[in-house]
Amino acid sequence: MMRYLLAGVLLLACGVLQAMAQSQTLISQEAWATYMKQFVQDNGRVVDEANGGISHSEGQGYGMLLAFLAGDRSNFERIWSFTRTELLIRDDGLAAWRWDPNSNPHVTDVNAASDGDLLIAYALARAGRTWGIQGYTDSATRIARAIGHKLVVQNGSRLVLLPGATGFASSDRKDGPILNLSYWIFETFPVMAQLAPETDWAALAKSGLELLTIAKLGPARLPPDWISAPDNAPVTVADGFPPVFGYNSLRISLYLLRAGIADAELQESFRRSWLTENGGSPAIVDIPTGRVLTRLTDPGYRMLGAVLACALNATPIPQDLRRFEPTLYYPSTLYLLGWALVAEKYPRCL
Amino acid sequence: MLIVLAGAIVPAIAQQVQLPGGSGNSTNSGSRPKVDETALRYFASQGDTRRLEAEIARLRALYPEWSPPADLFGPQTDTELERMWKLYADGKYSDVRSAIAARQAADPQWDPPADLLARLNEAEGRQRLINASDAQQWNTVLRIATEAPGLLTCANVDILWRVAEAFAKTDQTPRALDAYTYVLTNCNDTSERVATVQKAIPLLTDDEIQNLLKLERKDAQGKPEFAVLRDDLIRRRMGKAAENPEFTVPEADITRMEELSKQSTTAGDPLVLGWYLFRHDDAKRALEWFKLALDRKGGPKAAEGYVLALNSLGRALEAEPIAYEWRDSAPENNKAYLDVVISLLTADPPPVLDEIVLTRFSPVVMRDKYVPGAQALGWYAYNTGQIVTARSWFETALNWDPNDEPSAYGLALAYWRLKDGARLNALVRAWGTRSERIVALVDPAVRARLEARNAQSQITTYTDPLIAAAARLTPTPTLQPPPLGAPSATLGSNTQFQPVPGSTVTAYAPTSQFQPVPQFEGSSAQPAAQPVSYTEQTTYTAPPTPPRRRSVTRSVARTGSSVSESGGSAGAALARAWKLMELNRPIEAIPEFDYAIKYGQGRTAEDAAYGKSLAYMRKGMTNAAQAAALQAPQNPRRSLQLSADLLAQRAYEFYRDGRYVEAIISLDEHARLAPEQQDMMLLRAWCYYQLHDYQSAKRIFRALAAQGNVKANEGINAIAASTRQLRDAY
Repeated sequence: MMRYLLAGVLLLACGVLQAMAQSQTLISQEAWATYMKQFVQDNGRVVDEANGGISHSEGQGYGMLLAFLAGDRSNFERIWSFTRTELLIRDDGLAAWRWDPNSNPHVTDVNAASDGDLLIAYALARAGRTWGIQGYTDSATRIARAIGHKLVVQNGSRLVLLPGATGFASSDRKDGPILNLSYWIFETFPVMAQLAPETDWAALAKSGLELLTIAKLGPARLPPDWISAPDNAPVTVADGFPPVFGYNSLRISLYLLRAGIADAELQESFRRSWLTENGGSPAIVDIPTGRVLTRLTDPGYRMLGAVLACALNATPIPQDLRRFEPTLYYPSTLYLLGWALVAEKYPRCL
Repeated sequence: MLIVLAGAIVPAIAQQVQLPGGSGNSTNSGSRPKVDETALRYFASQGDTRRLEAEIARLRALYPEWSPPADLFGPQTDTELERMWKLYADGKYSDVRSAIAARQAADPQWDPPADLLARLNEAEGRQRLINASDAQQWNTVLRIATEAPGLLTCANVDILWRVAEAFAKTDQTPRALDAYTYVLTNCNDTSERVATVQKAIPLLTDDEIQNLLKLERKDAQGKPEFAVLRDDLIRRRMGKAAENPEFTVPEADITRMEELSKQSTTAGDPLVLGWYLFRHDDAKRALEWFKLALDRKGGPKAAEGYVLALNSLGRALEAEPIAYEWRDSAPENNKAYLDVVISLLTADPPPVLDEIVLTRFSPVVMRDKYVPGAQALGWYAYNTGQIVTARSWFETALNWDPNDEPSAYGLALAYWRLKDGARLNALVRAWGTRSERIVALVDPAVRARLEARNAQSQITTYTDPLIAAAARLTPTPTLQPPPLGAPSATLGSNTQFQPVPGSTVTAYAPTSQFQPVPQFEGSSAQPAAQPVSYTEQTTYTAPPTPPRRRSVTRSVARTGSSVSESGGSAGAALARAWKLMELNRPIEAIPEFDYAIKYGQGRTAEDAAYGKSLAYMRKGMTNAAQAAALQAPQNPRRSLQLSADLLAQRAYEFYRDGRYVEAIISLDEHARLAPEQQDMMLLRAWCYYQLHDYQSAKRIFRALAAQGNVKANEGINAIAASTRQLRDAY
């Protein structure tokens, strides 16, 4: 078990270094232009229109990462300009997570969200290196240090990534820490390790993989979106959160693959739920009963199943998923991230 | 880090002071510099003469030898750059960034003009600073200000205000004062100058504000520009003193606020005035202003003040309907309502209450599971002879809080009156170690001991008005028992209360039957003008028992009606004090307790003395207990539980305050929780000494000295000296 975990971490490091050397045209100009037109405003704001048109640090980070993967320096700078000016205002150097166009002031929750910070720092770091822009690297370093300092905490025997700066730690809640395993974007950790070596990112990746193996809850053995993971106690569904494998956790499969972790055992419950039981579509699953609540047929979500089938069985990407058809911000983002992965690592599926 | 930041800001401000008149950046003016004229050309091409002139002035200030080029209005050669300037002028900073990045990607040799970058940084920095300030990220505000000192000019007075606020919020008041001083020294717009002082008022002390006011200028008519602010300062002073009764304002301020309150049409001024007067024990005058505020739609705070003022004037009956109307507006209003009804219910003698008062009170008590409310209903029922109903309410209260001694005591009394020996004995067993006065109901020996102790500690005047009141029967509308679902085992078997099907308010109909009291000699319909002697009972009074729940509950339970008992303001002060304790503001509670000690009688004063000691203890312990308090702020109950240590500390506090009787009581309570150590015994002996009970003191000192306690000898000597003095005096 432990050997396999360590192998995973090493694999992860290799995967990213390889990716760093790659040329940056993994997303076609056409697809990226469509995405920009649909979801990014002129001021660089990535709009989550399914959630009342708000923006968040996660969306800004995704936008920057996609711009980088599309090799678009101009729009990368555009999205970064908004991100820095509007969200990167916290005293601790992290980004405020929620921005609402209908509120004044626009930042309606100044708490941080660790996946947003990871994505922003990661995109900046890769762009800074590939395009030779020191300012990006400097900003990435500051954010990475802040993440390590503020959001990566030792909880008993485990190093964990808190979902936010306040409200989730064991000191905040009796059942804490509350974790969201889909915030652990494994591909970012080796990059963070280069930027902020004072934090043990490899140990963080290791505890993330360990938690993924023990957080398979309920009859479907899928990881809930939000878990309570106290030290020396079993992982449970976090109190006050919907007990589902939902829109958060469904990213985990893609994140593992993007980090070069193709381990069949970790992917098994995703494979069974998506490919065997739901015809290739991910589904929202009720953890206590294992019942499917909603089957997600948006192309962006089906792409997750297609990428998994490609990685595990070399199944070609279905014809109807070969062309980017934007729908909503979130599945469209996942689609492009999935596409970029296939284009880079599994061209045989295309 | 902050100090470094602050150090950087002030030179930055100082630098700005020089800028307008001076030679600007001297290092650049020596040799002929390369002047960036792209902005100039852009503004010229747009025919934007205002910006053009400003830009020419700016460049001249920076480079005195520079003059505008002759071909300024010629065609722009760099159309891409022209577009960037246009985007900049339109405030589309992300577009400018994007355009710069696109051009650099296409032409790695190209660099944007330094001037464009500087302005862009400044514009974005300005926006980011505003965002950070709105989100109260003060360190970010100061960091950005340090990185972009060009923002700190009179043209950006809003930015200066935000920087000043950030200094104030990060405990750098002198720096904040510097920033405001900078504005008042250098900036000329009168409305901005007035606004500057307005911004400073909530952040600086009165003295600091006075310093700023010295920078006042006169307008063309010779009128001082800050005249309008004097009223704001009065409002602020009074507002602060209204929050904290330790502060008072000059009478002139009150007069001025009265004028302002009359002149204005809003609720703000009368509300501040009302709270100030109320908190300074002038409920009568406060009432008038609360009423005005309420009439002007002053909302829940006005209603709360009006209700509390009426209640404190002994007009709880008038307050009740208003209190009820506003009860759901805010937690404070709910509390005010509950307190008003509780003071009605526990008044002595029990008033004749309109049935509506009772029928709408009990659902609120049930909903909130409000122990003091249930208990007060119990006492009211008890005092009006409805013993069975009283029993139900006490049981309910005890179910909600099994550690509530006063409710248990009430229940014990009810059992006793109902001659329910079995249940009474069960209760005595359950409370035997915790309440002597409950045990005293069945145990003559304990009763005798309590009496003896009362005699010894000179509080024989201390009688429980609730027990006394139990002997007086006043015909009143009958109470409703707790509605269905109340955890009362005896309710179901009680034929007196008939469930009413379909009733929405309560499952029980008010009973028209009056419950006779078994022991009562004579007719229940006959008011007992002459108290039937429960004389044995009146001697059962016990020393204060440690509260095991919220202090406010305790004050109600033990003082009964603060209004009737202490004639108004002392009781109100005590209620306020407990409220402040509940709000964890012990320092502010102390003067309230003091007031109640000074002007209250009997229990009010005792309760206040006890409260005061608690407040001091809490004050002393705040720091050490802070972590724990933060962990469980929702549980004030626990924080008041008296451990042996607290009792010991309390005894010392009482001793230090010269309250030796209370100190002995505390020591007694302490002794029940832990074996008395020598230091406690020593303290006890000194208490006796101070009370001139030399015999008792000497006995203890001698016993301690026999065990080798050196300090005890001091006591023996002191007694010797005192008794000699006494003899000498005779």
